[in-house]
Parts: sequence; structure tokens; C-alpha cells
Amino acid sequence: MEKILYFVFAAGVSLFFNVSCGGNVNNEITVISREESSGTRGAFDELIKISDGKINMLFREAIIVSSTDEAAFKTEVDKRAIAYTSIGSVTGKIKTLAVDGVEANEENVKRGAYKIFRPFVAGVPGSGSSPLARDFISYLVSRQGQKIVVTAGYIAPNDEASVYSASGLAGKLTLSGSTSVEKIMERLKEEYVKFNPDVKVEINYTGSTAGIKDCLSGKSNIVMSSRAFKADEKEKLEGYAFALDAIAVIVNKNNPIDEISSEMVTKIFKGEIRSWSDVK
Amino acid sequence: MKEKIAEYFFLICSLISIGAVALICFFIFRGAYPAVQTVGLWPFLTGGLWKPTDIPPLFGIFNMIVGSVYVTAGACLIGVPVGVFTAVYMAKYCPQKIYAGMSQLVSLLAGIPSIIYGFFGMMLIVPFIADNFSGNGNSVLAASIVLGVMVLPTIIKVSEVSLKAVPKTYYEGALALGATKEQSIFFVLIPAAKSGILTGIVLGIGRAIGETMAVVMVAGNANILPETIFKSVRTLTANIVLEMGYASGTHFDAIVATGAVLFVFILLLNLVLGVINKGSKTAGT
Repeated sequence: MEKILYFVFAAGVSLFFNVSCGGNVNNEITVISREESSGTRGAFDELIKISDGKINMLFREAIIVSSTDEAAFKTEVDKRAIAYTSIGSVTGKIKTLAVDGVEANEENVKRGAYKIFRPFVAGVPGSGSSPLARDFISYLVSRQGQKIVVTAGYIAPNDEASVYSASGLAGKLTLSGSTSVEKIMERLKEEYVKFNPDVKVEINYTGSTAGIKDCLSGKSNIVMSSRAFKADEKEKLEGYAFALDAIAVIVNKNNPIDEISSEMVTKIFKGEIRSWSDVK
Repeated sequence: MKEKIAEYFFLICSLISIGAVALICFFIFRGAYPAVQTVGLWPFLTGGLWKPTDIPPLFGIFNMIVGSVYVTAGACLIGVPVGVFTAVYMAKYCPQKIYAGMSQLVSLLAGIPSIIYGFFGMMLIVPFIADNFSGNGNSVLAASIVLGVMVLPTIIKVSEVSLKAVPKTYYEGALALGATKEQSIFFVLIPAAKSGILTGIVLGIGRAIGETMAVVMVAGNANILPETIFKSVRTLTANIVLEMGYASGTHFDAIVATGAVLFVFILLLNLVLGVINKGSKTAGT
């Protein structure tokens, strides 16, 4: 019996040392991305040219996480990580990189210097949309609506918005679309109902693409999308951007790098550059 | 009359659970059928590329099948020895004083929600592997360790019960013949409780292969065929939970089909369980 135990112990110890000595203190980049159908990933992949609209060329060994917060957390604990996340989710525990020398902030997005951002769009069918749906959208882009967008941590695209006044309409309004919009849309809905107490607003968070389908088939009155409409969608839907969301490129706090070129971001996310030593 | 009422009541209850299984079976395979029809069964099962949003899309789950098998095997390597030996300790060595507390703790282990295991893995195991071995820690190894701990309570409880169910005479007979305590346990007690222990292990495997949340948080979920245990891996369950929320059309059907494959795995496991229990009518079952 002792012999068996001794053998197991010895095998365990030797295996451990073999592996740990073989393990290298490397500088390999941990690439963190989101699942295929995430709106954030869709926007990011397109903006940094990981996807040409047909084929996605993301590094195959990239870690896939299921939410923005998880991406931030994994970046927080991994010294070699790089990820991207909505600017609203950036905390003090991670570092945001300037891309091509431009910081990711409201001002730079508005003046067009920071290129990695996406709009949050509310859309209605081009024909046959209800007055109520249009009224809700006019609230979204109004001064009051835009103020809520800013307090929620996003960027208001419309500085000179007009003031919204209650329409006195009544009825039921169904919205469907992106999960990324949830935080901001719940607040907007609350405030809108204060103006128009006779309106019931129901929101389903199904993802941008599914939301567009629902809206076109008449299952919902308004679609909320966390990406710009594609060409064929634009033909059938009227879209109104009510918020902008910068997508920040984030790294671990201990990463010495402060800025990165967009070309380098593309190469890292394609897996063409694997080591932090090659990042200039 | 009274007995009849009770009988029907029990019958209805059992029909509910059987009906649930039948319904799940029916809907998962019906839901999977369109995807298998579009993609083809063989390309679906053996394809190495899963690119649902590409044009044209690719739906191959081979890497994930292998991933699920790797991670489950890893969990067994860790969970089975630890679990079985713990059961031996609890059944034969453990002083009465410690036993109550220990038994409670094992039960507690079973009750911990899987997301908590995930956090534990993400905060402790993943960084540990990244710092001490190669890679970034999100790996087959991390998932195996987390799952190995998660299957412990199942294996321990079932094994312990079956060890205790072995007639005392077996053990005492071995001792009387001059065997040491260890010899009696390993050469008499464990073989006698074999089918019970195997049942525990198979139930543990079932838990490991079906576990989702904890695995998603530590496995990295890259859709590759891992070459080493330090590489990332995506399991069938991870693939479902990652993309379920957004998917539509063929993509959605393909995810349901992924679920169907998982379901087949579970059915096979149950078949194995049936064979084990049928094959041996020894003590401990």
C-alpha cells in the first residue's frame, strides 16, 4: 500500500515540476473578445476591420466572454490582456488606451477624431408607423431625452435639441432590440411615462438583429439597435441616433503602454501580433 | 376506493415527470432537425469552424464536442480519486466527531451555485495558471479543476453510501484473514461497492458535461482544438449559452442542435448507468 501511495506522490511531484519548469514567463498577449452575435463586437470588428462584412478574421485563440463586464474583469486580473468595451463600462481598475493618439472621450467622438464608436439607433418602419412611436422617438432626441443619455454615461449626438412637451397620446408601445441599450432605455421610458401617463411602454431586449426583424414584421413598434442599420435595413427603416457609445480599447492597469495605433489593434485582434514586445 | 384515489394521484405525479422528459426529447430533436437538414449531419458534427455570422455561415461543432470530452475527462482525473478516497475516509476512518461536520460541508459543496464556482475559478485558478504555467490561464486545466471540485459531492455521497452498504462481514472477514485495514478496504470493500461507486462517477460525469456557467467563466471559450491543457477550449454548453440570446434563423437552429448533441451524450451516460446497475447485483447498489 505504501508503495502505491509513494508512487502516486512521486509521479505527481515530477509532473508538477516538469510542467512548471516548461512554463514560460512569456509576454504573450491575451486577446479578449465577445461572442459572434454581440452588438459591441459587431461594431468593433467592423470599425477596426476584423470583419469585411462577410468573413470574420478574429484571432482564433481569442478568449470569448459573454458580457462587457466580464471583459473588463478579465482585463483587470490578467496583466497581458487586451479587450474592448463600451465606454460606459470602463472603471478605474483598468486602463483605456488612446488610439492613434486620441483619447476615447465625448469630445473626441463628437469632433470625429476618435473613430471607434457606434450609435444607438431607434427605428420605425418607413411606412405605417404609429404617431405614438414617432412621439416616443421625438422624446428620445429631445433636450430632456438627451440629458438622460448623458447622465447614463453615453454621448448625446444632438446638442441643439428642442424641448419636448407632452403629447397627450394614449395607448401601448412595444419596443424590441439591443441588450446594450437596456440601461439607458429603462430610464428614458420612466421619464417618458411621466410626461404621458396614459401610454404603456413594453420593452423586449432581444438583440439588435432580432429587434429589427420584430419591427419589420409588426411585432413591435420601435426597434432599438446598438449598431447603425445596414444598407438593406435602411431602405425599410427610418433610424434616429439618440446616443453615441465610444468603444474603448482596454488593457491591464500594469501595462506600460498608454497608446496604440489602430493598425496595431487590428493586427492584435487578428492574431498577427502575439507578443507585447512587438507592440510599438 | 381510497386506495384508488391515492394510486391515481401518484400515477399523475409520475406521468408529469415522464411527460417532461418526453416533451424535452421531442422538442429538442424537432428543433435540431432544420439545422441538421441545412448544414448536413456530418459537416455539423465534424466541422472545425463555427462562424455563424460569416457569409456564408459555417456551423461545425467538432471542436466543442472534443472540448466537452476533454474538460469532462479532466474533471474525472481530479474528481474521481479525491472523491472516492474521501468517501473511503468518511466511511471507514473518520472519527464520529468530525463526521457530522464533514458530511455537512460536503452537502454544502453540492449546494454552492455554479456561478460562485465560476468566480472562484476566475479570480483564483485562472490567474494562478497564467502566473505559474504557460498561456493566459483560461484553459482546459482551469475548467477541469473547477469541474473536478464540482463533481466531488456527487461522487462522495454516492460512493460513501455504497461503501457503507457493503455487509460488515466482508470487511471483518478480510481482517480476520490477516489483511491490513488498507488491504481490506482496497481489495474487498471497494470491489464489493464497485457498482455504487461507478454510479457516483457516472452521475458526476453527467454533472460535469452539463455544467455551463462555471465553465464559461474559466475556459476562455475560443473555438479551437486545444493542443495542450493550457489552451482555451469551448464546450457544447458554453456555445449554447454564449450565443443563445442573440441567435436567429439557422444560427438558432444550430444552437438547438448543439443542445441535441449534448442530450445524446447524457442519454449515452444513462445507458452506461443502466448497464452498470444491471451488470452487477452485488452489494452497495
